[in-house]
Amino acid sequence: MKITRRDFTVGALLAAGTMGLPIMVKAEGTKTVALLFDSLVSPFWVSGIEIMRAKAKENGWETLENISDFDDNKQFEQVKAMIGRKVDGILIIQTDSKAVIPAIRAANEAGIPMVHFNRPPAESDAYSVAIQADNRKIMADTVQFLVDEAKKMGGKYKACLLIGDLGDVNAIQRRDGFFDVVDKNTDIIEVVARVSTEWNADKAFAGLTNALQANPDINFLVTSSDFMHPQIEQVLQTANKWFKRGEEGHVLFAGFDGDEGAYARLKDGYLDACGVQNLFLEVDMAFQAFKDMWDGKKPEKLLLDPGFVITQANLAEKQDEMWGYTVWKKQNG
Amino acid sequence: MTSADATIASKARPLPAWKRLLLSEYLVLILTVVYFAVMMFVVPEIATADTLLDVLSAMMPLLVVAIGQTFVLIVAGIDLSAPSIIAMASVVGASVMTGDAGYANGSGLEVIAGILAFLAVGSVIGLFNGTCVTRFNMPPFIVTLTTMMFFSGAAIWYTTVHTDASSIGNLPRSFIEIGQGRVAGLPLSLAVVLVVAGAAHFILSRTVYGRWLYAVGLNPKAAAVSGVPVRKVIFWAFVISGVCAAISSVLYTGRLETGTPVLGQRILLDVIGAAVIGGVSLFGGKGKILWTIFGVLFLTVIDKSLQLMGLPIASVFAIKGSIILAAAIIDAQRHRLLVSR
Repeated sequence: MKITRRDFTVGALLAAGTMGLPIMVKAEGTKTVALLFDSLVSPFWVSGIEIMRAKAKENGWETLENISDFDDNKQFEQVKAMIGRKVDGILIIQTDSKAVIPAIRAANEAGIPMVHFNRPPAESDAYSVAIQADNRKIMADTVQFLVDEAKKMGGKYKACLLIGDLGDVNAIQRRDGFFDVVDKNTDIIEVVARVSTEWNADKAFAGLTNALQANPDINFLVTSSDFMHPQIEQVLQTANKWFKRGEEGHVLFAGFDGDEGAYARLKDGYLDACGVQNLFLEVDMAFQAFKDMWDGKKPEKLLLDPGFVITQANLAEKQDEMWGYTVWKKQNG
Repeated sequence: MTSADATIASKARPLPAWKRLLLSEYLVLILTVVYFAVMMFVVPEIATADTLLDVLSAMMPLLVVAIGQTFVLIVAGIDLSAPSIIAMASVVGASVMTGDAGYANGSGLEVIAGILAFLAVGSVIGLFNGTCVTRFNMPPFIVTLTTMMFFSGAAIWYTTVHTDASSIGNLPRSFIEIGQGRVAGLPLSLAVVLVVAGAAHFILSRTVYGRWLYAVGLNPKAAAVSGVPVRKVIFWAFVISGVCAAISSVLYTGRLETGTPVLGQRILLDVIGAAVIGGVSLFGGKGKILWTIFGVLFLTVIDKSLQLMGLPIASVFAIKGSIILAAAIIDAQRHRLLVSR
């Protein structure tokens, strides 16, 4: 059979049209949620997106994903693209709390609910819901545990705090939570070093090394994020201060986040306590906020995850709520 | 017939359509249209009016900075500092205009003062780059790499001096309109870009300075022998690039309503990539504003289509890389064909 140019054109158009049909059929009756991350550079975010995908699937929703690579302008473009796709909800992790405001306005104009995960936006007239860990309280509870341990053991303590990027509200709240407790216990705790890490592991390594050279008797250490544990371990080992709980020379050590490294060090006895952001609960809260907004409700602009402190005493009971344990289990069979 | 006759005859013969297409200066535009047509079947939303306007809006700031880069590329240079100029200008301009104790806040001239601050930052850094390259004979790669590093850090430092937060907001509404406003349904930034692109096109195609740029890019020694003030030509190319980056910063900052020290930090590859994909040569002496426009359009359409598809990051990188590689292979074939003619 001879195929004419016209036959070919009509055939090609029909084939292309048929290709498009499944997309349209699939979209009908299903909720679609956009997951817009600024990066996937830490286990926290990798675990976060995996939990979101799984929970979205449980809800029968479809997900679309975009990563902005810390580019606020690109993320704004991604929000507009998702509005173009007419998604039912946008979950966003923005880099900058102010630069995200035009994106919230665009979502508001399109009538698409927006939920911020872990990082609230700056104050504005635009409406969106933010889910955030109660950083200050979780950190205060964690440091309180460490102070109670110090009191039990007796003696005076020289403390070092590894602070995050002070442009990030999470870092500020964690720092404030630390001082809420330490300032009430100045009789036994003296803060001799505040290391500004800017959420950079290399800076944490260099800063802690310098702090220990200036104050070799540091014996009370708190980090604002668990991702710096490998660097802390290395520095403490070099300074001959890496000992388990109960061993002589053990540095009282607390972390924040609840990653797989924190779980492993807690289990092995090097870490005393960890303030855990309940990632599973935060995803549930975010998805519940979508459901509420779809039902016409208007949730509060900021919803807090109370989190919890995990120690060796409650490790077996709480580990399933620690997202790092899930990662650790996967990595260790 | 001798072999020379055969060569002449083959050159006189009209080229087949596919070769003419491959050699066309509209090739990148044609590739964009073909890609767009294919994507219409994958994500039909790409063809809606709103998305097309989004593509146009997204193109504007990238195009301005790529136009500046085109000038530097034509003289066989490179300006790696463009993203840090965008960031530095963004926070300096915002600190002048912001309603949170900005330097010109309440003067009634805050927007004008802010925009002048943007342009001043771009000009000064461009002057510095140009001076280092022409007076100290330093390679543009090293000069602009170091200015990029210095001003990326300086932008963060400047922000921390002016605010406890990581960025500077509360900018005047009239300034925000430059980045977000619409006139007759079209982005207001289009007017700014038309002026910049028109001026750049005029300089390159209708002025003596434009001819000097190409001459210097092709062979600086021959240009110098012919009386072209080579140093001056290169110097001003860097200044133009700095000013274009500053104008781009005005558009980006207006869009995001925020002066941020990380603005534009990830766009360097897009800026150089767009110009090169469009046909501007990294070795100098070749380039047109129209080609840069096509390159920016190509990259923006790819980005928008991938954003609309909402695929996991690994797929996005693989697809974008493959498309750009395919475009580069086609471009290489084009050059091979040009050389063989």
